[in-house]
Amino acid sequence: MHNVAVKSKEVTLLEILDRILNKGVVVSGDIVISVADVDLIYLGLKVLLSSVETMEQLRGAPIVGPMQEPT
Amino acid sequence: MTLNSVVETDFPKEFVEEMQKTEDVLPEKIDANPENVEKGLAKLVLTLIELIRKLLEKQAMRRVEADSLSEEEIERVGETLMKLENKMKELKQIFGLKDEELNLNLGPLGDLM
Amino acid sequence: MRLYTYGIIDSSNQVNEPIYGLEGACVYNIPYCDIGAVVSELKEPVQNVTRSSVLAHEEVIERLMEYFTVLPVKFHTVFDGRDGVLSMMQSYYKDFKNNLDRLRNKVEFGIKVIWPADKVKKRIMNSQKKNEREMPVPAGSSNKKFIRKKFEEYKTNKEFEEKANKFINVMDIFFSKFAAEKKLKKLKTENLLLDAVYLVEKDKQDDFKEAFEHIKGPHTSFKFLFSGPWPAYNFVILPKNSDLLKDSKQEDLFDKVVQHQELVGADKI
Repeated sequence: MHNVAVKSKEVTLLEILDRILNKGVVVSGDIVISVADVDLIYLGLKVLLSSVETMEQLRGAPIVGPMQEPT
Repeated sequence: MTLNSVVETDFPKEFVEEMQKTEDVLPEKIDANPENVEKGLAKLVLTLIELIRKLLEKQAMRRVEADSLSEEEIERVGETLMKLENKMKELKQIFGLKDEELNLNLGPLGDLM
Repeated sequence: MRLYTYGIIDSSNQVNEPIYGLEGACVYNIPYCDIGAVVSELKEPVQNVTRSSVLAHEEVIERLMEYFTVLPVKFHTVFDGRDGVLSMMQSYYKDFKNNLDRLRNKVEFGIKVIWPADKVKKRIMNSQKKNEREMPVPAGSSNKKFIRKKFEEYKTNKEFEEKANKFINVMDIFFSKFAAEKKLKKLKTENLLLDAVYLVEKDKQDDFKEAFEHIKGPHTSFKFLFSGPWPAYNFVILPKNSDLLKDSKQEDLFDKVVQHQELVGADKI
């Protein structure tokens, strides 16, 4: 029962991610500080499902690409 | 946190597996690291060569299907395609590239191959 | 002031009840003419793609969906102040308005289907082998053998795709009955026979779900996934110019070539 619940969360998350990361209104330009300018840490689905605790630990881990602070 | 949208399936694990195969949630960044630049260029060139090779193969298959090749032609085409395939295997190995990497996403047109 | 934007709504009014977004901040509507952009203020410059941020974003949009027509905005679209938001609204007002009118009272449903690709291929290969046994062909050189092998693969793949199309068409006919628009992806992977989204009128939701159950029934060897109702993520149409992209992965072949050329200095050769 627990396994099904966990796996269902994965699939729901994937469905949401596919939509909010790729689709909908996408605008860019100087006034927008969004994905194109800032590297978001996306470590893949496996990590997204870990507990908050693990996320805290991983924050010290290598980052995918340089992070830029918007000025 | 409650969402109205529902995701219903009796096989969540299987769908997660398939969706992860096509997981491309964030746009690929062009990494200007020198080794990656070379690899990136190799990838682009090999992708185009692979496209041409596959088109040639498909064309040959259509002609075999239509029975419009002579015995001699089948021999020659077979030899050429075999050499091309082997050469590509070699190049992929040299640059450490996998088949799945040799593709390009053309947005609304889908993938190149 | 960093303004995280969740969606464009067809109203210049304020949000009726408190809706909380990222960082637990209250969202509010920045009106422009007869539409508005729903935002919340951010303290942290970057919001990572975590479960909580993703779900927080989605929840705001779904709450808005209860009251308004919403054009969902891509995750992590942040504007520099109110002026930034208004400038954007001014640029895209007509497009937003058109989309809002078109998508009013409609929701999106996703349907994915997995089929037993291996079994289908085996069955095809077996029936092809049977045909060959009835018509034996002399062996021949290694070149000929190569062609023969390739041709068998070609025939198998062709029939595989034809079978896929047959199933997809049957299913699509049913679903399309209650859909205003649709987008289909066939054989995204060998096993993922169909990855489709349908735009359905709110009052036809139940009919659509029923059609799905009806299709699901007889196909016992297939696996189905049904999701929704979503706001119309996949049906927002914005004109293709340098700033507006419907699908953030849209990069044409030419751009990629140019980028690579620049990186290796090939353009200076």
